[in-house]
Amino acid sequence: MPLIGQLALALALILAAYSIIANVAGARRAIPSLLASARHAVWAYCAMVTVAVAALWISLLRSDFSLEYVASYTSSSLPTFYKITALWGGQQGSLLLWTWLLSIFTAVVAFQNRRRNPEIAPYALATLAVLAIFFLGMLNFVTRPFDMLAAVAHDGQDLNPLLQNYWMAIHPPSLYAGYVSASVPFAFATGALITGRLDDSWIRSTRRWAIFSWFFLTLGNLFGARWAYEVLGWGGYWAWDPVENAAFMPWLVMTAYLHSVMIQERKDMLKVWNLALIGMAFALTLFGTFITRSGVISSVHSFTQSGLGPYFLTFLIAVVAAYSALLIARLPKLRSPAEFESYLSREAAFLFNNLALVGIAFAVFWGTLFPVLSEAVRGVKITVGPPFFDKVNAPLALVLIFLMGFGPLIAWRRSSFDSLAKTFAAPALFGLVTGACALAAGLREWYVLASLSLAAFVLGTVVVEFRRGVGARRHLVKESTPAALVNLIAKNNRRYGGYIIHVGVVMAFVGIVASSFFRTEVKKSVHEGDSFQVGPYTLEYLGMETTETPHVETSRARIEVRRDGRPITMMLPAKLFFKRNQQPATAVAIRSTPAADLYVVLAGVDQQTGLVTFQVFLTPLVFWLWAGGVMMAFGTVIVMWPNVRERAALAAAVRAAADTPAADEPLRRRA
Amino acid sequence: MTAPRANRPLARAALVLAVALALAIPRAAAAAPVVTTQAVAEGLTCQCGCGLTVANCNHPNCEFSVPVREQIDAMLHRGMSGPQVIAFFRRKYGEKILSAPTTHGFNLLAWIMPFAALFAGGALVAIALGRWRSRPNRPVAPENPAGRDAFDPEMRRRLERDLREDL
Repeated sequence: MPLIGQLALALALILAAYSIIANVAGARRAIPSLLASARHAVWAYCAMVTVAVAALWISLLRSDFSLEYVASYTSSSLPTFYKITALWGGQQGSLLLWTWLLSIFTAVVAFQNRRRNPEIAPYALATLAVLAIFFLGMLNFVTRPFDMLAAVAHDGQDLNPLLQNYWMAIHPPSLYAGYVSASVPFAFATGALITGRLDDSWIRSTRRWAIFSWFFLTLGNLFGARWAYEVLGWGGYWAWDPVENAAFMPWLVMTAYLHSVMIQERKDMLKVWNLALIGMAFALTLFGTFITRSGVISSVHSFTQSGLGPYFLTFLIAVVAAYSALLIARLPKLRSPAEFESYLSREAAFLFNNLALVGIAFAVFWGTLFPVLSEAVRGVKITVGPPFFDKVNAPLALVLIFLMGFGPLIAWRRSSFDSLAKTFAAPALFGLVTGACALAAGLREWYVLASLSLAAFVLGTVVVEFRRGVGARRHLVKESTPAALVNLIAKNNRRYGGYIIHVGVVMAFVGIVASSFFRTEVKKSVHEGDSFQVGPYTLEYLGMETTETPHVETSRARIEVRRDGRPITMMLPAKLFFKRNQQPATAVAIRSTPAADLYVVLAGVDQQTGLVTFQVFLTPLVFWLWAGGVMMAFGTVIVMWPNVRERAALAAAVRAAADTPAADEPLRRRA
Repeated sequence: MTAPRANRPLARAALVLAVALALAIPRAAAAAPVVTTQAVAEGLTCQCGCGLTVANCNHPNCEFSVPVREQIDAMLHRGMSGPQVIAFFRRKYGEKILSAPTTHGFNLLAWIMPFAALFAGGALVAIALGRWRSRPNRPVAPENPAGRDAFDPEMRRRLERDLREDL
């Protein structure tokens, strides 16, 4: 099996290299058979990478300890589920997963564009193949997943206990899907720059890919936060760890891109900016991988560190340099007759939204790299942690939330103060009333008051928009309110799905603000039968029970939770001890309600005195962070849903692009 | 100013939602203390190599964060303030223990740069918009009716046109 896997990876590398040559030669000489051959090579290298993944999975499931990877990241007692997820539990496997996703997405792009985008698609496929060659090169020559041990190991070293959690089963694949799919719009942007097809057809052709990438980046970040919440046992979900930051930055820039392209599609403006944004988003996905694997900055994700940093850094620099050079070479052809009438317009609001998003991304980037800079300049190693990121990003987040309500309701081109007052009167009043109620209820933190007011304002603007649309449909088509609502969303899925995403962001924002400002912590050491109070809850420690499997030993405390004297639940926080790698871990118990999460950690057990220490957090409204994530996902599915009108627009754009000569033929020929 | 009859249920619902939003946090956060061990521990970086703060270190029996948290707890109970506790640990371990850069010397750059970049970006956006705005021969657009009432005739005409396209 290892031999098959290694051979498949070698063949994939050769096929990827061939697909580049065939795509570029086929496009330059306009030879359809060569382009078809290139597509077949893409599908073949996807098949070869799939064979390699299957070979590694089979080896993991069979516990083939002759393989170094299997021996390093599994053990014979590891549950089957985690043997499957061990594919991305280590360095080589996670790179293989990345390459596999890239090859699948490239194969889908080749299929989608077999009769579409005849000029850009071959170059886009060649760009994707260049990326694949880098990763396949790593897998073939630098960090090989099929390396054998000199002698077969008796048993494996087991998977890191922190990774033995179901959120880890979906967090890395989601994040990787987000990272890797960002390379599709990037590849089309590169193709557009090479061919000089600089209209918006590359944007329209990859709009769904960009949303797909954003969707999975959103999920990947949320799953990672949920993993931290359940596994790390400190009651929080986001620590501004460098690797978390590395996943957050592409999300921010991709969000900016998704808003900015609307201006290009509508007004043919911001061509350079959109090309720069997608380049930045893709470079940040590579930067994220570099941070995770280089170990240049210490991180909670140290289990993926390796010596791959220099390779990634070199590749990252090469990609950024090549893309920047292409962009600069095309600058004269990218100037568009920008048409702007008023600062009180949606264009201006979207530009400031972009500024806030990229500003936050820069702040995160700067804070992540500042320790390296400090060490280089002063020779002093410092840490840039949560206090820095919270202080710097908090005001920017408020600006962003405000623009989220303001931007969608303001008119394109220009608006007047009079119409603004009419449009925003109700949402602004709603925001002010919410803030006033919070003030009257005893809240004094200005940030929380502002956040609640702005959240209410945004919700108000969304309600106003839905009400307008539903009212119009009821009047015009004589539909009932529910039917009008459903049809309104179905026929304008991009717009109204976007509003649903905004509602999700507001829900998550309220959850983040409340849980950050008002988390209560209680630490108590108690004997069996003792009770203690946490907020409105009484917690009684009933005793400890121990269970054992060949893999893990579990000491579980039983805690009865009462409210107003009535038992409401039994919570079972535990300490785990993983036998194979001799590592302890914590299993927290969480009782989640929309009002607050009760979060219990079994912090310590004193065998001599029988004292058991619990760390308990009462975190208000954190439920809404996860609910907001679900809402964002729901909204994104609506946005991505196929729409007949949009398909017609895409076909028209592609047709129009095909009828227009490329911006610069000589550059295309040189490429 | 009285709301039209059709708007009253929506206005009532909005008021209820506003009150609920406003009350949700204070009710849940009634017992929040002023300075907690967790809050102070957020200001210190764990030295075990995890890269997290003392508050967030995920090692169950960490040799650094566990005793430091206990020490912070004891110091707060003795009446020391949060900044005093942090100053104590800084004297003991040096600057590396702080979880955020200080606000003087080279470290000031860490705090200034994000806002400087933002202002520079803002200025660039404003300049670009100003240039585009001052270009000659701009077509004059009619004022967009987005702000008008949903049922005024102009808005209705536009919506009817849009909806016909959709149907």
